[in-house]
Amino acid sequence: MSRFRLRAGVVGAVILALAATSCASDKAVDGEAAVGADGVKHGPGVTDDTITVGMITDLTGPYAPLGKSISQAGRLYFEEVNAAGGICGRKVEPLVRDMSYDVQKTVSAYTELEPKVAALPQFIGSATVASVRDKLEASGPLTLALAWAPSILGAQSIQMTGTTYAVDVVNGVDFLVKERGLKAGDKIGHIYVEGDYGDDSLAGSKYAAEKLGMTVVEQKVKATDADMSSQVSTMEEAGVKAVILSIAPKQTASFVGVAATTGLKVPMLGSNSAFAPQLLATPAGPALLGDFYVLQASSPLSADLPIMKKIIDGYKAKYPQDGLDNGVMAGYTGSMVIGDALKKACENKDLSRAGIISAHRSQKAWDGGFGSTYDFSDPSQPPTRSTFILKPDADALGGLKIHKDRFTADLAASYPVTAS
Amino acid sequence: MSDSRNARLFRLALWAAAGAAAVLIPFYLDGFWLMAGLFAMSAAVGAIGLNLLTGATGQLSMGHAFFLAVGAYTYVYLSSESDDHLAGLGLPTGVAAIGAILAAGLAGGLFSPISARLKGAYLGIATFALIFLGQYLMHGAEAVTGGYNGRAVPPLTLFGFSFADTPELIVLGIPFGALERLWYLAVLVLIAAAWFAKGVLTGRPGLAMNTIRDHETAAGVMGVPVSRYRAGVFVLSSMYAGLAGVLLALVFQRTVPDYFGIVLALDYLAMIVIGGLGSVGGAVLGAFLVTLLPQLLTRYSDSLPLVAQPGTSGGFSPAEAARILYGSVVVAVVLFLPAGLLGLAQRVRQRLPGGLPHPSTPSRSAP
Amino acid sequence: MTHFAELLLTGISMGSVYALIALGFVIIFKASEVVNFAHASLLLIGGFLIAELHGRIGFWPALLAGAAGAALAAAFVEFAIIRRSRAANHSVLAIVTIGVDIILATELTRRIGTQVMAMGDPWGDAVVHFGEVSIPETRLVALIVAGCLIGTFLLAFKYTGWGVAMRASAEDQEAAALMGVRLGRISLSAWAVAGALAAVAALFLTVFPTPGLDRTTGMIALKAFPAAILGGLDSTTGALVGGLIIGVTEALMSGYQGEMGSLGRGLGDVAPFLVMIIVLLIRPAGLFGTRELTRV
Repeated sequence: MSRFRLRAGVVGAVILALAATSCASDKAVDGEAAVGADGVKHGPGVTDDTITVGMITDLTGPYAPLGKSISQAGRLYFEEVNAAGGICGRKVEPLVRDMSYDVQKTVSAYTELEPKVAALPQFIGSATVASVRDKLEASGPLTLALAWAPSILGAQSIQMTGTTYAVDVVNGVDFLVKERGLKAGDKIGHIYVEGDYGDDSLAGSKYAAEKLGMTVVEQKVKATDADMSSQVSTMEEAGVKAVILSIAPKQTASFVGVAATTGLKVPMLGSNSAFAPQLLATPAGPALLGDFYVLQASSPLSADLPIMKKIIDGYKAKYPQDGLDNGVMAGYTGSMVIGDALKKACENKDLSRAGIISAHRSQKAWDGGFGSTYDFSDPSQPPTRSTFILKPDADALGGLKIHKDRFTADLAASYPVTAS
Repeated sequence: MSDSRNARLFRLALWAAAGAAAVLIPFYLDGFWLMAGLFAMSAAVGAIGLNLLTGATGQLSMGHAFFLAVGAYTYVYLSSESDDHLAGLGLPTGVAAIGAILAAGLAGGLFSPISARLKGAYLGIATFALIFLGQYLMHGAEAVTGGYNGRAVPPLTLFGFSFADTPELIVLGIPFGALERLWYLAVLVLIAAAWFAKGVLTGRPGLAMNTIRDHETAAGVMGVPVSRYRAGVFVLSSMYAGLAGVLLALVFQRTVPDYFGIVLALDYLAMIVIGGLGSVGGAVLGAFLVTLLPQLLTRYSDSLPLVAQPGTSGGFSPAEAARILYGSVVVAVVLFLPAGLLGLAQRVRQRLPGGLPHPSTPSRSAP
Repeated sequence: MTHFAELLLTGISMGSVYALIALGFVIIFKASEVVNFAHASLLLIGGFLIAELHGRIGFWPALLAGAAGAALAAAFVEFAIIRRSRAANHSVLAIVTIGVDIILATELTRRIGTQVMAMGDPWGDAVVHFGEVSIPETRLVALIVAGCLIGTFLLAFKYTGWGVAMRASAEDQEAAALMGVRLGRISLSAWAVAGALAAVAALFLTVFPTPGLDRTTGMIALKAFPAAILGGLDSTTGALVGGLIIGVTEALMSGYQGEMGSLGRGLGDVAPFLVMIIVLLIRPAGLFGTRELTRV
């Protein structure tokens, strides 16, 4: 026994000696080598010849299709930037991490990337962003979150593109009133999926309905529900004059498909996440070409803009085997926003984390060539409140064409977006 | 004589190496690996609890993730302050942690009308229901859980020492943030949890539990209060899950309902099968393997054949490769290593010069 | 009233499809005493084959190929894995099927990717009207086909040699083996039959009113768990009743959630399991399951 204790003592001493030599570890605190050769202040992820950015995406989970296009379009943008000489004379290197829309993997990916990157041009999903929100807010890099729930607003380092689900829906209700003749006393149906996306959309339709003297007939569905017959039957029963769909694409296909075969002949509006171009090839395709519209804050791929042509041609050349969807546009734009923030920070000679964020927040009217401007100065508000009304079209690129150009309804301008 | 001394030396060297690793890792590895290690240790605590129930007592539970959620959310609820839309009791964090473990045990106890009466597949699927119930409650009871986006977890403070990034602490030139501090806490918790479970398994309760697993009727004849034992083990296993839930919440720093789903519950079952049913070491080994495998694959995907890099097309993505590998390991272990990886390690050790013949692994009931 | 009738009809027809899955589940359990968690993947294999092949060989041959493919896959799982691990106890066998499920589901979702695959069925989006009540043709066909298949099985169970052998082996494997029942063959055929049933169920879960098969289709098989347990894991009648109960509960829950206020939101997901727990509290072996009696 005593011999054992002696041995344990020796082992302990060896461990302590090793620990004492831990100055050999890379983790040791070193003086801030904070300024580069060109006089630009450095932060994490920035060296004299590279700027590292990170993407936390979903390549194997429920948002895999979008995640793939977003990541590839992001890579495309940074390759173009590097071909043109990089940013601040430095090459931009994207690191992509797949988190399969899983919280544990998200936290791991963020923990790994956080010390290595100057910014995160892509971070998919509201639940996943929420899982590291506190860390992002405390000391995180400038992050472009691809989620449209108000819960991600309110942090200096987190930027949303487009607008919140609720604002889209308020604009949608305005469109129904102005162009489809809905009036006070009418009922609007709203099918929504549980979670942030559905809850915020519902908040929008309830707000608009209350202001306009209408009522909302709500039906909550689960993400796994595939058959919307009972929802269609409920809406028919209630006698709604229009239906808003804040659900998953295949649920939209089911709802619109079933509605086409029954007596529910009313205009239907889908939120921007309720439609995918693949649906046009399913049996529900013809029904989706009927009285159905999509609400979206960003320009569709089929918009007639020079920048759009450039993105599409570049993407097709680099990824010839992959189809085009909204993710391409979102990924490219998001990386562009981050790229511009980095360029601006470089002008200020400050590529530290705080420098990049304040450079980004100093932009009140960012214009990427998409025909509208974004205001990044207030972290508690979405950068825009305007919405396109799009119509599915089998011949249009990305399956959607503009039905009504982007607009901001008065109700949407006054809608109180409250960040959490 | 010299043989057994060699064996003792060998074991001592092994423990010394493990101890050295546990102490030194925070000084050398970066946040990603600390995080991975913390997840693995928390999972190991939960897996030990499930192994007491499923491995040692033969009660199939597919609802383990639910009790983890009870632990995690109770800790957050008890330790947070109330604000405009979230409720909390604002208790000291140490008290909250103990309360969370008790709450998980209580939840297990409330389930005893089911857990004491059902067995086999019926119990498995009845506990499966808990996962769905848990999701419904976590999304629905927003004042307590924060709903879909979850809640921030207050950092643990014990005797004035805070397991958080602030106040700053530098040990031997290394900055000690939340992860480094939690690392040592997790090591201590895991050792204590393993030691307690070992005591249960090697003592009279362990005998009774194994008899219930292998021959319930015989256990009853020999005077083991079968129903009471089954309910009791269920409660104990739930408390382990609650403890794992508290640890996980502290590591995550935020609890979200999505995490505590079906996949997690199935992962725990896979852990104990891969590691070895009915033993503490097996649960720890399996937990480490299942938790670290996907991380390793994602991290080093560029140097593996067949695995595509994240964000590019073609081949298996690291996550897919990890899933397939993991499923294959489960199947292979059951087919070829009925005693799990731990059994394999013991067999290898017996072959070593000076190895001691080990008591064979617990017998299985005949089908 | 029409609303209620429509919901009830939808519930019954969906319930009959759940019953098909639950029946496969029960048959496997009877023959090899395994709770098969890989059922979701078998369903996905069948559906995927039908969706892949119907364009090339026509719908009916594709349906046969899908059923055959799923049956073969199931038989392979039994032959290569379940039979080899006979020594293990039932919990372990259940966990092995989880491993199988992870492998199959990962590969299938990788292949399906982002597609929503149409099934190319002949019924399309036709709707049948009974006065005020309207129901899609696919639902009626599902009800009829599921009814016929389940009826055939109940009869086969009672009157054919295979059924007798199956029941005998479920009752007492050793005695059955001594009486000349080939356990291996019985178990293999049970798995194959369950696979084929799952493929048929996959077809009806992915035709109109749903847009088609996608990566999440397999998740629906989870609803068959409470259905099978509710009725009793070793009772074929139980699978039928359990499936119907789950289908109707779900349809009514989601149809009338508006009337239930905030409590009802998302309750449809939990409802099948709540019903199951209540039944199990009253009858631990399910509604029609045999209670194990141990005399001491």
